Amino acid sequence: MKFRIPVVLAIASIFSSTLFAQSQAGDPVWLVENITGKIFADVTENLDEYTANPELLEELVRNDLMPLLDINYSARLILGRAGRGLGQEKIDAFADSMSNLLIDRYSKGLLQFSSNIKLNVLPQRGDLNEKLTRVRTRVTLPEGGEAPVDYAFHKTPEGWKAFDVVVEGISYVTTYRNQIMPEVQADGIDSVIERLNTGQMQLAD
Amino acid sequence: MNNRHSIIGVILLSLLVAGCAGTQSRNTDPENDPWEGYNRKVFAFNTALDKVVRPIAVGYDKITPDPVQRGVGNFFRNLDAPVTYANLVLQGKFKQSIATMFRFLVNSTIGLAGFFDVATKMGIPYYNEDLGQTMATWGYEDSRYLMIPFLGPSTFRDGTGRLVDSFLDPVTRRVYGSNRWGLYIVRGIDARARYLDQDAELNEAYDPYVLMRDVWIQNREFQIYDGDPPMTDYDLYLEDDLDAEEPATTGGQ
Repeated sequence: MKFRIPVVLAIASIFSSTLFAQSQAGDPVWLVENITGKIFADVTENLDEYTANPELLEELVRNDLMPLLDINYSARLILGRAGRGLGQEKIDAFADSMSNLLIDRYSKGLLQFSSNIKLNVLPQRGDLNEKLTRVRTRVTLPEGGEAPVDYAFHKTPEGWKAFDVVVEGISYVTTYRNQIMPEVQADGIDSVIERLNTGQMQLAD
Repeated sequence: MNNRHSIIGVILLSLLVAGCAGTQSRNTDPENDPWEGYNRKVFAFNTALDKVVRPIAVGYDKITPDPVQRGVGNFFRNLDAPVTYANLVLQGKFKQSIATMFRFLVNSTIGLAGFFDVATKMGIPYYNEDLGQTMATWGYEDSRYLMIPFLGPSTFRDGTGRLVDSFLDPVTRRVYGSNRWGLYIVRGIDARARYLDQDAELNEAYDPYVLMRDVWIQNREFQIYDGDPPMTDYDLYLEDDLDAEEPATTGGQ
């Protein structure tokens, strides 16, 4: 949903990412700045080519963005108690369907907006702990105004990975969870996976 | 919308109906929604009403050029400034309250009755406060979800706050005067037009009622904490224990 964005937050965006170059390679702030920054720049530069060949963009997103995400963890959070008793291969299949949808939607979003949006990463405050943290960003929208977008990260054996995106306070994991859990309980995981694979996953942006 | 009369009726109605509602969905997370049975009925009513309202909003959206639509939005937002001011004072945010008053003066004059948001261009920040948020910062943090006929998602706390805000708002009353019904309607249509992009997502959701509720509650929390709410307790999502996820019996009214 489109909500009014508290403009007070805009002030915080004065602290643009460049002022905070002390973030270390591999830590969450660094990952958001570099990986998403790189993707935005790439798409802006090669917009025509990607528009003509959307599958190239999907490839880029799959190779550059997906390693930054822990979709399996997101899937477990979303399934919650509905995932109890499901075999690992079902959970993996569910996570795969979610990845594919995410890549599809993210790529389409990039084509539409990348040349007009600007990303500011806010300075990390006290909420970095050893296992869990969030990176707060402001996305400047084409028609003016800013959307606050936060990423929840946790530490995995392969380093920090994001597992949730929170737009104007609305968490994808929480919101999907309350749609998926009852659906899995009513229709079964196979039918949910099939529906996701046919691309019908819908959620308020 | 500051539709005073209908809000009173709605709140009274809500109180009356509340007693006999209580169907609880056990398949979602425990939002504070003990009135789900009643709320779902109001949701169905609002959805039916939307069959009439939506086409009007679509038409309005089509014929109104974007700058005009922005102006209309600015105008109504500016009318809220005195209420925001009062609530900033009540929350002890004095610096922000002064900025809000200044913003109101600038936009009401140079901004031609609020149609142009000159204040933002001057760098005066915008704050969004209301009595519901004030009560939340005073400690009334958890309030049960309440779907209000015509107006949509709210909580008991926020619905009450809205009612009081609209009573105490001198500017809107003065400005709207005898044309207020027309302006209420324009405001409603304008507000509806802003959500047109989300219709498909809502309609295709597995449970549109739950989607609207979850999105609204999370965004409201975000407003109450001025854009910096505490992080979700994700560990809870992994817990298998059903009892731990039952609705808290201590949930507020």
